Amino acid sequence: MNHVLVVDLGYGDAGKGTVVDWLCATRPVHTVIRFNGGAQAAHNVVLRDGRHHTFAQFGAGTFRPGVRTHLSRHVVVDPLALAAEADHLAAVGVPDALDRLTVDGEALLATPYHRAANRARELARGADRHGSCGLGVGEAVAYGLAHPDSAPRVADCRTPAVLRRRLAALRDRLTAELGPLDAPPVDDCLPAFTAFADRVAIVDRSHLAGVLRAGTCVFEGAQGVLLDEWHGFHPYTTWSTTTFANAEGLLAEAGLAGTAERLGVLRITTTRHGPGPLVTEDPTLPLADVHNATNPWQGRFRFGHFDAVAHRYALAAAGGVDGLALTHLDLAHRGLRICRRYDSMDRLEPGPPGDLDRQAALTTRLLAARPGYDDGPPADWPAAVEEALGTPVTLTSHSPTAEGKQVRKGTLLTPFV
Amino acid sequence: MGSGMWSTDVYDAADRYRRATGKSAFAYSDSGARKVHPALDPRDAMRESRDSAEHPQSTAITVLFDVTGSMRNVPRTLQAKLPQLLGLLLRQGYARDPQIMFGAIGDATCDRVPLQVGQFESDNRMDDDLGRIVLEGGGGGQMTESYELAMYFMARHTVTDCWEKRGRRGYLFIIGDELAYPQVDRRQVSRLIGDDLREDVPLAQIVDEVTRRWDTYYLLPAGSSYAGSTKVLDFWRDLLGQNAVVLDDLDAVCETIALTVGLGEQAVDLDQGIADLKKAGSKATGTVSKALARLGRGARDQVATLPAPSTPPTRGVTRL
Repeated sequence: MNHVLVVDLGYGDAGKGTVVDWLCATRPVHTVIRFNGGAQAAHNVVLRDGRHHTFAQFGAGTFRPGVRTHLSRHVVVDPLALAAEADHLAAVGVPDALDRLTVDGEALLATPYHRAANRARELARGADRHGSCGLGVGEAVAYGLAHPDSAPRVADCRTPAVLRRRLAALRDRLTAELGPLDAPPVDDCLPAFTAFADRVAIVDRSHLAGVLRAGTCVFEGAQGVLLDEWHGFHPYTTWSTTTFANAEGLLAEAGLAGTAERLGVLRITTTRHGPGPLVTEDPTLPLADVHNATNPWQGRFRFGHFDAVAHRYALAAAGGVDGLALTHLDLAHRGLRICRRYDSMDRLEPGPPGDLDRQAALTTRLLAARPGYDDGPPADWPAAVEEALGTPVTLTSHSPTAEGKQVRKGTLLTPFV
Repeated sequence: MGSGMWSTDVYDAADRYRRATGKSAFAYSDSGARKVHPALDPRDAMRESRDSAEHPQSTAITVLFDVTGSMRNVPRTLQAKLPQLLGLLLRQGYARDPQIMFGAIGDATCDRVPLQVGQFESDNRMDDDLGRIVLEGGGGGQMTESYELAMYFMARHTVTDCWEKRGRRGYLFIIGDELAYPQVDRRQVSRLIGDDLREDVPLAQIVDEVTRRWDTYYLLPAGSSYAGSTKVLDFWRDLLGQNAVVLDDLDAVCETIALTVGLGEQAVDLDQGIADLKKAGSKATGTVSKALARLGRGARDQVATLPAPSTPPTRGVTRL
């Protein structure tokens, strides 16, 4: 039983969803486990028959019959978005997504109050936006750290009196800080949260050990290592640990530390949604992303050449991988090149977690850095990426569907036949 | 990465959840759970049915059902039906302040979840416990399940105010289709419940113990593997006398249990109870009256001494 951990080694959007879907399509996967982030994840999966879903809280394996989703305690759970997402899944032929879901009761809730506060802050920053998704995930994490004993959590949805008290305290604290919030009254929120608890299996942290022994599991990361709360380029980061750390921690709790295959996902164009460093950005690239439109909270979707410097940094920050999944190879002939060094430096070294001043200084240098290109577009992308990152490329993706994936090397990912 | 694809409208979400149909009542089990839910774990547990200001005269009622493979679809049907039990008892006035506990029985010799016990609840929180029950399937294929282990728990790990304060027994319904093991295995007790026993407890002794504080019924439902098996029915008749009842129609399980409690509480007689059910629009009256025909003739023996009698009563339940 080889569990697989899937993490994005860029700024997100590399194709974790399509890789997770392929894993679930090619072997019997019991559960897809989310271990960071929240409803702001947007992992696109396209089926051969044209059906498409943007997975936010359900695992990207949900199109595959019987594959379950577990939201661990490291996920910020948004029951409102979850309901809408379940409805869309039903509309595209997956009526039982909620029945295949378990949620850890300790997970923090994202609520309309967090969202309203998130937007209020982001608007106040004006042109200096951080690229937040406007869903209140970071706000929920911050509040949870400040008020660990009274922050609303998933299990509270089972006891309306407790939830009401905690939502009211949350609203009052955020209102005191930011002024009136554009959010519904507490009593209007309660029915949705309690209906969520009635409908979804809420479990405790011991549940996961059983799941991990019941069959192969896929840990589906959210966002990307270059947005990590400690290793990302401050302040353009997410309130979430985007490395393997949470997943490895959950495995360790189940007595399975270090037993899973670590897979890093990269696309051959380094992209970024929203502000922050993107050293290899090239507005002349003839690329567009069908699933990532400009939105009012993150702004423009930006394309750049393959930034091996930044991805090497991500690999080091994440502690290395067993293999790489390289996606979007169908873009190989669009003039994309590989950047192996910047004009000012050719290596980025990860620092100790928690040193945000150091990370902010790094951001300043990166915003001024210029990419260096030593050669033209590579003829053999997988080989070139392998060489640039010193890591084997085990899976390649040539189209959005599971059928467009090819195992390049490595036995652990070989599909069951 | 993302942008929040999905609507977060709080009013829509409540509607969506309410509309979301097809919820398997056994969501915990269907989500792949294969171990006892912490809320239902019998280990080191004591289950209490207590009076409160709201419920000053609590009547403890326990429904334990076999969730092994031989029961086929019975557990799922029960799960869909049992939430109506509380409402039925209250509407008909058959029991004062009913407090209901649900639980499940497997096979401790081979199942992973041989015993699951909820809490005594006076409101629909009992439904949550139902939803947390793991359906093992499984079972030993021996025509035997660990009913004796469940009875051991009920005998030694429950406290009820109806008994402690008023000397009135609670009601225990075991729904199943197989035999019990001949003794309570001390190793299973140690592993699953946590008690340290010096020796196994013979089945007859544990039946005596449990029936002292619990008016105990065995319901053998149609639709299970051994329904109608005289071997199973005879086995339980031998232990519980007329309290071993065949249930022809599973849809009538709540009515049968409710009326049994009503008869025991002398809140109603059988004819009146059947009339009540008819009036309430129940189609189950034939089934219920057939199932309970033997019970309707005699009132439950009242226990008047406090606390528990020092000499165990004769095996089984003495009736007129």
